[in-house]
Amino acid sequence: MFEIEFLMTAIPALPLAAALAIALAGPRILKGASHTVLVVALALSMVASVMLALQVQEKNQEEAANGHAGGAVVTKTLWHWATVSKANSAADVSQATAGGEALADSDSLDFAIDITLRADALTAIMLVMVTFISLLVAIYASGYMHGDRGYWRFFCYVGLFVFSMTMLVLSSNFLLLYVFWEAVGVCSYLLIGFWYQKPEAAAAGKKAFLVNRVGDFGFALGVFLIWTTYGTLNFHDTVTVDGTAVIDGVLGANRIAQGAFATGGVATAICLLLFVGACGKSAQFPLHVWLPDAMEGPTPVSALIHAATMVTAGVYMVARCTPLFDAAPEARYVVAAIGGFTALLAGIIAVTQTDLKRVLAYSTVSQLGYMFLALGVGSSAAIAAGMFHLVTHAFFKALLFLGAGSVMHAMGGVIDMRRFGGLRRLMPITHWTFLIGCLALAGMIPLSGFWSKDAILLATYEAGGTGMGSWEHAGTFYMALFVAASVTAFLTSFYTFRAFFRTFYGEERIPAEAGHHAHESPLSMTVPLMILAVFAAGVGYVLHAGGAFENFLAQTPGIGAVSHEAAGQAAHADGHGAEHASAHSFVMSLSIFLAVLGIALAAYFYIGELKQIDRIARWIRPLYRASLGKFWFDPLYNFLIVGPIWLLAQLCYFLDRYLVDGLVNLIGSIPPLAGRILRKSQNGMLQMYVLATVVALLLLAAALVLPQLPATEDDSSRQAPADPAAVSWDEGRLEEDNAGRVASAVRPSLRVEGNQK
Amino acid sequence: MNEIALLQNYLIVGGLLFAIGLVGFVTRRNMIVMFIALEMMMQGVAVSLVAWSRFHDNFGGQMLVIMIIAVAACEAAVALSLIVMMVRRSSNLDIAFWQTLREEGQEPTLDVEVPEPDDEHEDWPELTPAGVEPELKPEQIGYRSRV
Repeated sequence: MFEIEFLMTAIPALPLAAALAIALAGPRILKGASHTVLVVALALSMVASVMLALQVQEKNQEEAANGHAGGAVVTKTLWHWATVSKANSAADVSQATAGGEALADSDSLDFAIDITLRADALTAIMLVMVTFISLLVAIYASGYMHGDRGYWRFFCYVGLFVFSMTMLVLSSNFLLLYVFWEAVGVCSYLLIGFWYQKPEAAAAGKKAFLVNRVGDFGFALGVFLIWTTYGTLNFHDTVTVDGTAVIDGVLGANRIAQGAFATGGVATAICLLLFVGACGKSAQFPLHVWLPDAMEGPTPVSALIHAATMVTAGVYMVARCTPLFDAAPEARYVVAAIGGFTALLAGIIAVTQTDLKRVLAYSTVSQLGYMFLALGVGSSAAIAAGMFHLVTHAFFKALLFLGAGSVMHAMGGVIDMRRFGGLRRLMPITHWTFLIGCLALAGMIPLSGFWSKDAILLATYEAGGTGMGSWEHAGTFYMALFVAASVTAFLTSFYTFRAFFRTFYGEERIPAEAGHHAHESPLSMTVPLMILAVFAAGVGYVLHAGGAFENFLAQTPGIGAVSHEAAGQAAHADGHGAEHASAHSFVMSLSIFLAVLGIALAAYFYIGELKQIDRIARWIRPLYRASLGKFWFDPLYNFLIVGPIWLLAQLCYFLDRYLVDGLVNLIGSIPPLAGRILRKSQNGMLQMYVLATVVALLLLAAALVLPQLPATEDDSSRQAPADPAAVSWDEGRLEEDNAGRVASAVRPSLRVEGNQK
Repeated sequence: MNEIALLQNYLIVGGLLFAIGLVGFVTRRNMIVMFIALEMMMQGVAVSLVAWSRFHDNFGGQMLVIMIIAVAACEAAVALSLIVMMVRRSSNLDIAFWQTLREEGQEPTLDVEVPEPDDEHEDWPELTPAGVEPELKPEQIGYRSRV
């Protein structure tokens, strides 16, 4: 058994090493075998992650046995990145002047950033999920990307992504979190634009990057505000540079034990700014527009980055900052509202999309909305439900995307559902695994999606019932969100099975592009599908049974604090046990009913002729048009944001082109002009040169001699006594002659020359 | 005649020599004449050097002048041979023929057009052709036309 510190380092180091090896050896040596390096590294990384999770569990049990609540955190500082001692800190001055007592506090203003890794329950969950999915996707991609020109490049980027993502969840510092937050964004950009010769792919990559910038800007401001509020960016408690005092980390054990969190407006601002970052990364309204376009990238990338892992970074971050959000209930309402609204909005849009991958993309946005809704509800059960949904969603959505990729592979790159159909005989394995993914996404009992979605609905329903928080309308608010989430659940099962039936049922149609490709995908692609199908089916019940997932997650310090608090509430609410049970059975039956209704309706409308659905589309024409047009977010953003910025850029372009460049060119045109005039003197005539030399010599001589001459005769007579000294050119000779004669002898000759001028 | 007056006379002679040489150098285009003018300028300098040397009772200047004369002799040999080479290339002594040092794109400075030599009316002695005209190499034609 390896030490936990070693595992923490090895998990991100292995994919990084693989990425570097592929980058160096890929184009010349590895070529078509580039995937082997990455697959081996990811497999080892996954084994390490599982071992890490087991060890974290062991440590948690030890902690519990020792009577410490809140679970274990293992941190490992690799090196000190930056250390600015307090003497250099401007904030220190204001702190010092604030009063004698603040001086002790100002110790915490050392700006020390350590490269520190952290392992706790939340990190372990994310690590296992990320490495497992990325391993399967890497195996799948070895078949899917076979023969691509940039084969090695693809695996290099994926390795880099897994490194960044594992570091993101391992980092124990807001700055490091931000760095890897950006790093996964860069990998996402590189992989969306992987086929950069395709203009749509390049544009989609750019769009994803720019929209993420908006969110990241908010995140950066949030990090700044955390620094000014808490005086540190570390999650864990650290020792000051001089080793005299302990700085309470933002999410450190001391702070959680004391509950020393900022409250009020500052806390709300911090949380909302962090949430803006989460919105960008996790594609929530109003920054959700990049994710559907990101489907231009290779399908394994869509599965790995834009469904299972990277887009959940926002959810992870909000879950990680649970204590901060606990201190800002108002921010929770915003998170819940945005989550619920996005879930519904994306669900409505997904109903009318004809591009299979785009349906899944909007479904991802919708499911991420669910997760944020759960985090916004904020009870310990809700947070556990959100994280649980994150994990189950990763499995079944990766499965669905890989299935869609398998279809796309067979159809020769065609992904428009109007152009193919009835593929169930052609691709039996893809069909069955896709069905399992669809059932899981639709929330069909007992597949994984059911358990997690049910948990979210239940948590929202209970929040609606109890009216959590101080806000008087909280009950109504959460009830409205519950209704929205229920409608979304119905829409989810409807659009999922719409896509499923249109792809695999009905009359068999194969587009011309498919050619001889129209057959089941190779084993390297179907085996990951089958493995994922098993997990998508089973992981929900296994983790849900006996509250295993919830208990494990609750061992995360920050989240554990809530669960502790909630445990008291639960004990208090024991009297309402029966009510809880009835709520549970109501929500469960409602969710099963909605799932079945959605599947049945989809089957009724989409198996066979499409006449009836056309009639319904005419009946709710405005909504249909809005859904088909994706609620016109792209044109709206183009008009409101892109247009004005484009105009400004044009203005700047013209100013630069004609004003700035004009001035520079004007100044630059002076030397050639002068040169054109002076060039005439450079005529190759020897005598002209001699003449120029002579004239110049005369001018020089005149300049030397003339100032020594008296300006007029009057001046000379007046200055006569001083002259001998002025023209003393040879003392040795002049001794014999009197000074007056020297002056008279010299002056006329000088004057002759002067007159010549 | 005192020292100063003596110096003045010599300097005037030297200055005149220099000035006449300078004017000659600038105004004449015959390369040999220009060379002579150049020599005159140098002798003007030499005269003034001798004068100053005498004035200061320092004979270094006079020694320098002897050296100048020696150098001038060498220089004359080099310069005259250069002139010979140039005349062979251009068939005339006009310094204005050599304007190749001018700036690129600059028009050459031309005098009034010299009329093309008219072989028919030229007073060359007519000899009865005899024997075979020797074959001339192409590079010899340039400067053998008048020979």
